[in-house]
Amino acid sequence: MSAILELKHVSKFFGGLAANSDISFAMEPGMIKGLIGPNGAGKTTLFNCITGYYPPSRGEIFFKGHPITGLQPDRVCRLGMARTWQKVRPLVKMTVLDNVMVGALCRTNSLAKARNIAMEQLSVVGMEQKTHFIAGGLPIGERKKLEMARVLATKPELLLLDEVMGGLNPAESEEIIRLILEIKARGITQMVIEHDMKAIMRISDRIVVLNSGEKLAEGTPAEIVANQEVVDAYLGESHA
Amino acid sequence: MDSPSLQPLLLFVQSLISGILVGGVYALIGIGLTIIFGVMRIINFAHGDIMMIGMYLTFNLFTLAGVDPFVSIAVCIPVMFLFGGLLQKLFINRILNALPQNQILLTIGLGLIMSNTMMLIYTSDYKILTTDYSSSSFSLMGISISQPLAISFIITAVITAVLYWFLMKTDMGQAIRATAQDRQAAQLMGINVKRMSIIAFGLGAALAGTAGALISPTYYIFPQIGSTFTLKAFVITVLGGMGSVIGATLGGILIGIAESLGAVYISSGWKEVLVYVIFLLVLLFKPSGLLGKSRM
Amino acid sequence: MSIFGEIIGTIRRVSPLPLLTFLAVTGALLLFPPLVDSPYALHIMILIFLSVIMGESWNILGGYTGQYSVGHAAYFGAGAYTTMILMQFREVPPWYGMLAGIAVSILTALIIGSICFRLRGPYFVLASIAATEILRLTALNLKDFTNGAEGILATDIPPLQFGSFLVTDFTTKDPFYYIGLVFALAVIAVTWIVQHSKIGYCFQAIREDQDAAHSLGINPSLYKNLSLAISAAFTSLAGSFYAVYIGFIDPTTVLSLDMSVQIVLICIIGGIGTIFGPVVGALVLVPLSEALRSNIITQGLITAGLVNEDSPVGQFLKENLAHAHVLIYGILVVVVILFMPDGVLGFLRKILTGKRRKAA
Repeated sequence: MSAILELKHVSKFFGGLAANSDISFAMEPGMIKGLIGPNGAGKTTLFNCITGYYPPSRGEIFFKGHPITGLQPDRVCRLGMARTWQKVRPLVKMTVLDNVMVGALCRTNSLAKARNIAMEQLSVVGMEQKTHFIAGGLPIGERKKLEMARVLATKPELLLLDEVMGGLNPAESEEIIRLILEIKARGITQMVIEHDMKAIMRISDRIVVLNSGEKLAEGTPAEIVANQEVVDAYLGESHA
Repeated sequence: MDSPSLQPLLLFVQSLISGILVGGVYALIGIGLTIIFGVMRIINFAHGDIMMIGMYLTFNLFTLAGVDPFVSIAVCIPVMFLFGGLLQKLFINRILNALPQNQILLTIGLGLIMSNTMMLIYTSDYKILTTDYSSSSFSLMGISISQPLAISFIITAVITAVLYWFLMKTDMGQAIRATAQDRQAAQLMGINVKRMSIIAFGLGAALAGTAGALISPTYYIFPQIGSTFTLKAFVITVLGGMGSVIGATLGGILIGIAESLGAVYISSGWKEVLVYVIFLLVLLFKPSGLLGKSRM
Repeated sequence: MSIFGEIIGTIRRVSPLPLLTFLAVTGALLLFPPLVDSPYALHIMILIFLSVIMGESWNILGGYTGQYSVGHAAYFGAGAYTTMILMQFREVPPWYGMLAGIAVSILTALIIGSICFRLRGPYFVLASIAATEILRLTALNLKDFTNGAEGILATDIPPLQFGSFLVTDFTTKDPFYYIGLVFALAVIAVTWIVQHSKIGYCFQAIREDQDAAHSLGINPSLYKNLSLAISAAFTSLAGSFYAVYIGFIDPTTVLSLDMSVQIVLICIIGGIGTIFGPVVGALVLVPLSEALRSNIITQGLITAGLVNEDSPVGQFLKENLAHAHVLIYGILVVVVILFMPDGVLGFLRKILTGKRRKAA
């Protein structure tokens, strides 16, 4: 099967500092890929490179076989790749429904159609009761779900989720995990940055480990857990 | 300005020097703005109007009590310091966490109140403060130098030096710099951030007021003069990098030179256009200022 | 926020009441000139319409798209100067001048936008001011073209005539009243359409969080320029209207920082990002500053016996208060920012919902 996303030797330098250096991997459609690594390993930077917020300093990125290196984020989104933000970014003065409609308007010019898409996605995340709440007033758990609904409304084929469980309590995290698996069941490919090791081992088909901007290892969760280098660099710190 | 008999080189040096002299006063205005921005992260749109109040203060001291404009800065500095501190305490401190746009609008509103109150009191007539040396000049190696400009430049240099010393060597100066660097960290270190803000705004206002006093012998005095200088102060601080005192000093002198040379070689009507074009170019291509390091 | 608030929201959406009110007010405004036969009242109404056009125009860019331009005098001035130059020096009827002004303004907007939209926050504000100052100084210096600091005085307004059919003449205030009303309604209608369309959603998403909007498929630069173009076109319309109505323009009135600030204030005082905010702002500002300008307040104080006409205070107020109508702008903006950050309209709404909640 051909890869939905392929990174070839992607590097990103800030000044002289390499935030990502020579990262290559491919993603198969329908899979969940975990992206892990200690703080400052360059995970979010890689997301920013893939989604067009920074042009990579070197290397190439292919989405569905087409080069997307250097494309603007809005173009990338319209091609079918959407991302969430580590620190959630609700459109605070707008209602929950309007937030999700903004995402839906990526695919339609009609407000009525956008409203339908938005309602559909809000019920997927279980927020159909809160449509007229102002987004700025939501608690963190619901903000995260709102953001998921909003990216889903852009009808993506590939979703990049940046720490969607960060700051959530166990029950809320469990809800998000269920949501991620449900999204997978709908055939949407996902790349997930997450710090919760148990969660990432549970949901991922394959895992990429970053350390100091470089790809340290790649494999199935079982392989990653068994990889001594990974354990030393990363797992050691949380399991110690 | 343009006397064709003057030799080209002499004309150049002449306008260069007068540019530097005027630039010194510009620097003073710019430093005031940059201190306020550095500590509060607020762009003070009332800065020129504060300067205008300094001008009227000087004008009154001169016409009512016969105080020389350059001596009047001894009154101007403390009065304007208190005025600035009061503005901070009553208004600016309340909106430190508001949207930047609202902060800008508040200072615009304060500026409008200042200029229009002055207009109520003094009408919008142009006032002239004429001292016996207002238009006198002396000659140095064939170059004629305006006496009031030269005196004001020396005073500016002294004030700037004292300010550096204050910010670098005194405890309070260091507290102000710490607040500018990281407000929260400064608060954790036990610095009274609100008090530092009041002092910073007071300092900024005192510098603007002093600049007003210094230029009052050479400029017309009228209530609406502020906005021109507010804009000039922005240009200066952006050139030097927002929040940088050294940058503002250099920026002020640079703008003084650009205006002076622009007036001679382009035309006095277009010289300000030149200033704004430089401003936009810097904003676009070097937004951190000519010195490079911005703390934004 | 409660289910109660939600219900109110839904009712408001389907209720024909606002539409009926709107139509009733419009009808009353159409009947105003023949019923109220006072040139001064008409003058005030015309100024209110003008302020509404200015405020609503800025609102599209500043209120909905979140780009706080403090340089809208550029587009006001472009409209005013284009119309006036064509009218006075080329004898072109102002209607054509107005259209030419819109074209010039949109062009100016695209140039200014290409510079300013690269910047955010306070830097955007400063750049918008600087760009407008360059225009003001240019108008001041291009004396052959603009008459420089002396400004342009309209000696007579060429009427628009098709054959022998006279479309408009401008000999009374009535045509200005109706034209101003139509323009004001048009800009309100455009704002309504923007708010209820995809464009409006994109504008507001950019206002709330440009990066998030960008990641959701919105091209920020496209929509920011679109917003600026719409805003500039209507601001230019206001400028043309002003030039023809007042009959005199110079750089320090139509291209000044004060003009830019005044445009922003109409919106801020009323409440930004709402359709009727600028209307409220205009209704507050124009009568207040006119009352000061025409000495009504001083007269009122004197007739009420609060101030003796011959006392020094009375003399002072009589002579000076008229010059200080801008003072009220300053005081209002300070009060609004400190105590009603959502403008007068937002403040009233808060009081109303507060009362409602207490009743519930």
